[in-house]
Amino acid sequence: MKALNRRDFLKTSGAAAVFAATPGLAYSQFVGGAGPFDDYRALVCVFMFGGNDSFNMLVPNTPAEYGAYAASRQNLAIPQTELLPITPVSTSTPDFGLHPTMGGIRGLFNSGEAAFVTNVGPLVEPTTKEQYFNASVTLPPQLFSHNDQQDQWTSLRGNVQSKTGWAGRMADLIRTGVADQQMSTNASLFGANLFQSADETVAYVMGPGGPVQFEGFSTDPNSILFEQREAFRRVVEAQYGTVYERAFAEVQRRAISAADAVTGAIESAPPINAVFPQSQLGTQLNTVARLIAVRDQLQMKRQVFFVATGGFDTHDNQEADQPGLLGGISDAITAFHEATVELGVADSVTTFTQSDFGRTLTSNGDGTDHAWGGNQLIVGGAVNGRELYGSYPLLAIDGPEDVSGGRMIPSTSADQYAATLASWFGIPDADLDVVAPNLANFAERDLGFMIA
Amino acid sequence: MNRLLSIVATLMLGLAGCGGGSGGSAPPPQPPPPAPVTKAEAYQFLNQSSFGATETEAASVISMRQERWIDDQMLKPVSRQLPQLQMLPPPQFPFELHADRVDIWFRNALYGEDQLRQRVAFALSEILVVSQLGALGNLPFAVADYYDVLAENAFGNYRDLLEKITLHPAMGVYLSMLGNEKPDPDLNIRPDENYARELMQLFSIGLVELNMDGTEKLDGQGQPIPTYNQEIIEEFAHVYTGWTFAGAPTFHPNVFLLPQASQYFPMELWEEYHDTGTKQLLNGVVLPAGQSGTQDLADALDNIFNHPNVAPFISIRLIQRLVTSNPSPGYVRRVAEAFDDNGAGVRGDLGAVVKAILLDDEAHPAMAMEIDGKVKEPLLRLTQLWKAYNATSNSGRFPLNASYIIFGQGPLQSPSVFNFFSPFYAPPGEIRDSSLVAPELEIATEYQNTFFTNYMFYQVFALNQTNDALADDDVFINFEEEMAIADDIDALIDMVANKLLAGEISTTLRQEIAGMLARIPETDSAIRAAETIYFVVTSPEYAYQR
Repeated sequence: MKALNRRDFLKTSGAAAVFAATPGLAYSQFVGGAGPFDDYRALVCVFMFGGNDSFNMLVPNTPAEYGAYAASRQNLAIPQTELLPITPVSTSTPDFGLHPTMGGIRGLFNSGEAAFVTNVGPLVEPTTKEQYFNASVTLPPQLFSHNDQQDQWTSLRGNVQSKTGWAGRMADLIRTGVADQQMSTNASLFGANLFQSADETVAYVMGPGGPVQFEGFSTDPNSILFEQREAFRRVVEAQYGTVYERAFAEVQRRAISAADAVTGAIESAPPINAVFPQSQLGTQLNTVARLIAVRDQLQMKRQVFFVATGGFDTHDNQEADQPGLLGGISDAITAFHEATVELGVADSVTTFTQSDFGRTLTSNGDGTDHAWGGNQLIVGGAVNGRELYGSYPLLAIDGPEDVSGGRMIPSTSADQYAATLASWFGIPDADLDVVAPNLANFAERDLGFMIA
Repeated sequence: MNRLLSIVATLMLGLAGCGGGSGGSAPPPQPPPPAPVTKAEAYQFLNQSSFGATETEAASVISMRQERWIDDQMLKPVSRQLPQLQMLPPPQFPFELHADRVDIWFRNALYGEDQLRQRVAFALSEILVVSQLGALGNLPFAVADYYDVLAENAFGNYRDLLEKITLHPAMGVYLSMLGNEKPDPDLNIRPDENYARELMQLFSIGLVELNMDGTEKLDGQGQPIPTYNQEIIEEFAHVYTGWTFAGAPTFHPNVFLLPQASQYFPMELWEEYHDTGTKQLLNGVVLPAGQSGTQDLADALDNIFNHPNVAPFISIRLIQRLVTSNPSPGYVRRVAEAFDDNGAGVRGDLGAVVKAILLDDEAHPAMAMEIDGKVKEPLLRLTQLWKAYNATSNSGRFPLNASYIIFGQGPLQSPSVFNFFSPFYAPPGEIRDSSLVAPELEIATEYQNTFFTNYMFYQVFALNQTNDALADDDVFINFEEEMAIADDIDALIDMVANKLLAGEISTTLRQEIAGMLARIPETDSAIRAAETIYFVVTSPEYAYQR
């Protein structure tokens, strides 16, 4: 049976859905936004650019299912003996195994601080293989393309264009509740991104090691470098005749105003003992930990951090490259979780992954190609851990979820994944449809992987 | 003055005609001669067509006018990278040569005579992307030669260029066509789809059908029409099977053991690895079974090249790189028509396309609108300064291999095949709200802008000709001329504004600089000169390309 689509939903439900259907118009703007908050919560998005081959990250470990996996994957299958077996609470048997380099994550899984959502990806509405081929459902456009599927994950745009991301929309929804924050709700350590793009709340982009300060500026009013700073500020605050100058000047203005507060605060962060790997991701997560450590100084109540690492587009040399990629993710996230424990905020910080897409089960000889559904990882003290959520597909070529060459139709939507995290973040249920515009097309509004 | 001379000349011609006694009628009225090129126009043009306007080059454009300057430029010999790289002693590790490659790039960009060719090659390098970051890290000769291919073909035919990049080992490695094999169903192995997808999505036709003016075609439901689907990609993936390094002893050779020439000779076909089945291409074309790999490739590239999207697609990309982020549909159509037919019935003539882009009225509007022009890429902001201030180093080298970290971009240093920024990027605010784009602003983040601003601070205050403690490779600028007049604040600001802004400096910027200069003793002429340049090169008006 075809699930309720958006039009049906609007016909049958109340005001919340009407507001949800109108971009930029949120229910909470009329009933009072979420917050002010008396607690602190942070979401940390770890984006794996290129499309993580996550069916080698989380592998079935039962005989028939492993057999199907091994037959599909051939030379790219992880030998069963090398898997790190994990035992979900619900099965009490080691039904799954992790990639051999992910010992850190196995530890967190076993201690109940990590969970997976399986075969999740961008969908407009629930989709079966039959519906996919007879085109009786709306599909996200340009499936299997890097930038389009990145955009779909981060904006949840479905089959329409979206200029905002789901973190951006969350930030706008809570804007009045976090007015005292000295830094934007959204901070990126990996450049500008659609995920945090918003109508109102401009994300703050810093470097992997945090913000950099302007050379040659002083805040000491007796210094000529103070005058220099003021003159520079007046130049970027001037009126300009073109949209390009105005937009460029605006970035410079934000940079000047944010750099001092944030740099000043981060320099006072206590030393963190957790040992981060010497990697791009390790550096970024170390910085996030230091920013979280000074949250009170910056009066932060709600934060979304965007960190990322690339190299996951393993068309070539997958066998050689995958251990470093997945081990790098495991080591960095594990260290970060330790840091949050050390800072006493493990229950307030949730780390989760996103990636362009899963990869084909078939190989091109020494690598894999772009596919669709995949598995994602969630870590934190507030995670209902040691569990798998969603349904894990049979990894068989031409199996029930395979549309071609081992490209899995997601059985859980990225909207549901995002909404579950958004709900924990403090977004009221009525506003979840603003965060995840196609959520109403799916039966489960909350996947249950967060402790309520 | 020119106009007056021209009128006099016309009159004299007329008299000569009468004097001939032939009784012929008066000559037809001549169109009024074009107004002289102003300095501001020359700067605008040179910032579109070179690595930064200078007063010297502007004088050439003023005397030659734009079209002849272009014609002259197109005849200049190509400044190449590979031959220079080959003259260097081999380093301990191959990747070290990328610093030398970047050094050569900067020298060609700054001082190459073929400025237009180098600028168009740079634009092409941001469309037909390969990068040293990744598997090409160990293949610096491949990357250098790839750039040379872009430069050599900058005014050539796009069909030829597509074939050259397709068979270039740099592209073969970067998008994994090299070593791609026919299917082996028993092992669930099928051809690699990487190149098949990106060649269509990024290098030729894009995702949706376009009108000649670059706007999207829409179906009956008002939806864009995809140009291809997953099945078509899989079919093209079969075309691109059977190719590996030239001179390779095996189909999957160890790259470290290959001769250097394998890095730049076109890839070679091993027929036994090529799939010989039929292949469904674009627009209903089917390749018959049993063709050679070479024939399949030629037919497939013809099929793509002749897709109607290529003209508007490549035209928009090149206009955005050279002139403006938001070309009007009319501008795109005029350039796309030049792509379709160069006037001699040839499709894909990039020289004609470049000329159409640069000589179009919209590249130099009489009345500029607030969406004309674009943001200058950080590297171009840097090279313009360096050219204007005769940058050099004591070693004569510019080995800024960390360019992509300092400036958010560097020559063939993109983080992925999607370039440093997306052609669709729209920053939040009025640009996004108006459905406009500003691609370069994707890397103009708070972080990257601050980094750039700091580099400029360091450049002008520390890396200048007055510093006697420069390291050999420190690239320094020379502002001796400014120092000589630094006691006169207005004259100093005028001089810097003339060199960097064609003299068109805003009142605010002039006032703020003057205010700062008044605080600096006139005897500190180097500080005054540096302060002036610093404020100009970090200003929004300098970051804007008119």
